[in-house]
Amino acid sequence: MASIPVPVTRRGSALGGLIDILTTVDHKKIGLVYIVSSFIFFILSGLLALGIRTQLAVPNNTFLPPEAYNMVFTMHGTGMIFLFVIPILTGGFGNYLVPLQIGARDMAFPRMNAFSLWMFIFAAILIMTGVTLAVVGYTAQIPSLTQFSSSAAWTAYVPLSSKQFSPQIGMDLWVLGVIALGISSTLGAVNFLVTIYAMRAPGMTAWRMPMFTWSMTVTAAMILVATPVLTAAMIMLIADRQFGTQFFSTSNARLWQHMFWFYSHPAVYIMVVPAMGMLSEILPVFSRKPIFGPKVIILSTVAIGVLGFTTWAHHMFVSGISPEVERFFMFTTMVIAVPTGVKIFNWIATMWGGSLNFKTPLLMGFGFLSTFVVGGITGVVQGAIPLDAEVHNSYWVVAHFHYVLFGGSVFGIFGGLYYWMPKFTGKMLDEKLGKLHFWTMFVGFNLTFFPMHILGLMGMPRRIAVYPDGRGWEVSNLVATIGAFMIALSVLIFIINYLGLARRPKAPENPFEGNTLEWATDSPPAEYNFKKIPVVTSARPLWEARTGQKDIEH
Amino acid sequence: MNVRLRTSSREGMPFRARANTGLLGAAALIVAESMFFLGVLSAWYYLQVISLGNWPPAALRPRTFTLPLINTAIILVSTLALFWGERGIAAGNKRRLTIGVAVAAATGLLFMAMQTVEFSGLGFRATGSAYGSMFFALLVFHLLRVFVGVAWMAVVLIRSLMGQFDQKRRTVVQACAMYWYFITVIWLIVFAVLYLL
Repeated sequence: MASIPVPVTRRGSALGGLIDILTTVDHKKIGLVYIVSSFIFFILSGLLALGIRTQLAVPNNTFLPPEAYNMVFTMHGTGMIFLFVIPILTGGFGNYLVPLQIGARDMAFPRMNAFSLWMFIFAAILIMTGVTLAVVGYTAQIPSLTQFSSSAAWTAYVPLSSKQFSPQIGMDLWVLGVIALGISSTLGAVNFLVTIYAMRAPGMTAWRMPMFTWSMTVTAAMILVATPVLTAAMIMLIADRQFGTQFFSTSNARLWQHMFWFYSHPAVYIMVVPAMGMLSEILPVFSRKPIFGPKVIILSTVAIGVLGFTTWAHHMFVSGISPEVERFFMFTTMVIAVPTGVKIFNWIATMWGGSLNFKTPLLMGFGFLSTFVVGGITGVVQGAIPLDAEVHNSYWVVAHFHYVLFGGSVFGIFGGLYYWMPKFTGKMLDEKLGKLHFWTMFVGFNLTFFPMHILGLMGMPRRIAVYPDGRGWEVSNLVATIGAFMIALSVLIFIINYLGLARRPKAPENPFEGNTLEWATDSPPAEYNFKKIPVVTSARPLWEARTGQKDIEH
Repeated sequence: MNVRLRTSSREGMPFRARANTGLLGAAALIVAESMFFLGVLSAWYYLQVISLGNWPPAALRPRTFTLPLINTAIILVSTLALFWGERGIAAGNKRRLTIGVAVAAATGLLFMAMQTVEFSGLGFRATGSAYGSMFFALLVFHLLRVFVGVAWMAVVLIRSLMGQFDQKRRTVVQACAMYWYFITVIWLIVFAVLYLL
């Protein structure tokens, strides 16, 4: 029967501030450390992406040798997925916002929360130190340093990741890092589920819970069920590499694919569902309307969470699984598009007839919606077995998942950063720079990834370090590279915007007229969040307080 | 508070959770642990299916299940002792808890010792074949769980001796007991899969 201790802050000196960050159990500080650190990993992984695009800008390029290229794309994927999108959404936004949105003083297990954070940082150091050393090794021609990074792709398929084909220590560091991340996010999921179940303020029934909190509930449940299987697979892989066991000997290689995708397909939804939740917060606020069909949005999120566990083998249509199994997974892949499509219509209906407030968060929301629809549709298309056999391992797939992951999650993350920055810091990001950021990123994104659809259909395989002249791939690749640098520029604009934050005036208390409880306290909130615990009487407590009217109960 | 909202508590009052967070957390961890176990168990069955009847390979079948059967009895005794102790503290009997946990932890240790004997007597190793690897994986992952359970019971025992538990304050005891029951169930499945089926 937890009563939550109010954390003590040490103020004053820089050392005191550092000690405060290292020892804090406050969900808001932990959330901000997650956001800042995973954003640093976003920049590092983004630089690796620029390396990829520079190498592929022209045919027969020699910017990166093939071994270095393999390392770079492996670590780009690993970094973006494991060290940026998942931690910033769950550890970052989830930690910061969930207790505020449900009217609690902290998470249910504040110390376990700090443990999750430092486990994540430890894992990230394991993985990222290896990359840094390897990059130095390749640039300065020191071969002994190049062994500190994995180059078996983020999927680490056996036998490529076995001792025989990946003898370097970097592969072991990578596996250990992913195990540590698994522990971190599993404990985080336990924390979220218990917090959301047990710590809600009086009156906050399930249907009155904010959309982002709902999406975090489903995400945490998925993490709880999926991640331990990945951890088991990783432990078995490192046992194969170090102790000579035979779990994934060549004849059993598909076992790895099953265990890996059993986690990593739900992981796709783990990466996008919180971003969907953020979109469901942003769209009604900036349309100045209640969200359309909140129960349907909630139920479709739950449906995605459940169905997400039934589709993993659609990654394996060309791995040689039986046709009956293939048909089952094709069917489930088509089915999961339904709840996702339902959400899209809900979001459009939310904006329909609304008095749209064209601020950066809404623009980022448009970016999410428009690109995510494209990625969703290409996903359904390649879920068809014959077509999948055609486009598998081609640039079409790269285009598809970037439209979902960048178009969905990353636009969502930036939308969330613009929307909640006044809550995090008490200051507002600049609107002009924000709009510039959005348009540069949106155009850059489409320039980078749209041509990849065409490249894939023209037969360009993914994960190749060089391609020959005369295949008709030159223009599309060059355009993609230009687009990648535009994305980098847009992120630079965001960083400039962020660095200018200190000089900006104090933000109003509720600058965008948000309706959820995080806007009912100071910005940034004090450690105890709320002086008095609020009583919730509807899904939009602040709208009720502002207008003095009773909100509709759905 | 910047906007006028109805509030429930006085200023500075601690937050009262709606349910026992400790027990819920332990339950959630058990779900995660079950998924870990199911992952490994599915790997076992997957490899069995693709081995097309060569599972276990003829030379590798464990010769007897006497020792694991004794172990099953040991872990059941351990669980019963812990149940008896846990019910004891629920009724306010501190001595019953101490005795129950002590017996459960001791039998848990005995289980671990017996398992190491079983490992060396199996006649095959984890490295020779996928079957051997999976066999040892199911046993070793379970042994690790038992180790965690015994360590947890040792903590409960020490705290019980210090008199930290009573009828109202016994969440840790309940959580530990839940975990130990879970381990017992997993052992019954592991025993059945490895030695009986």
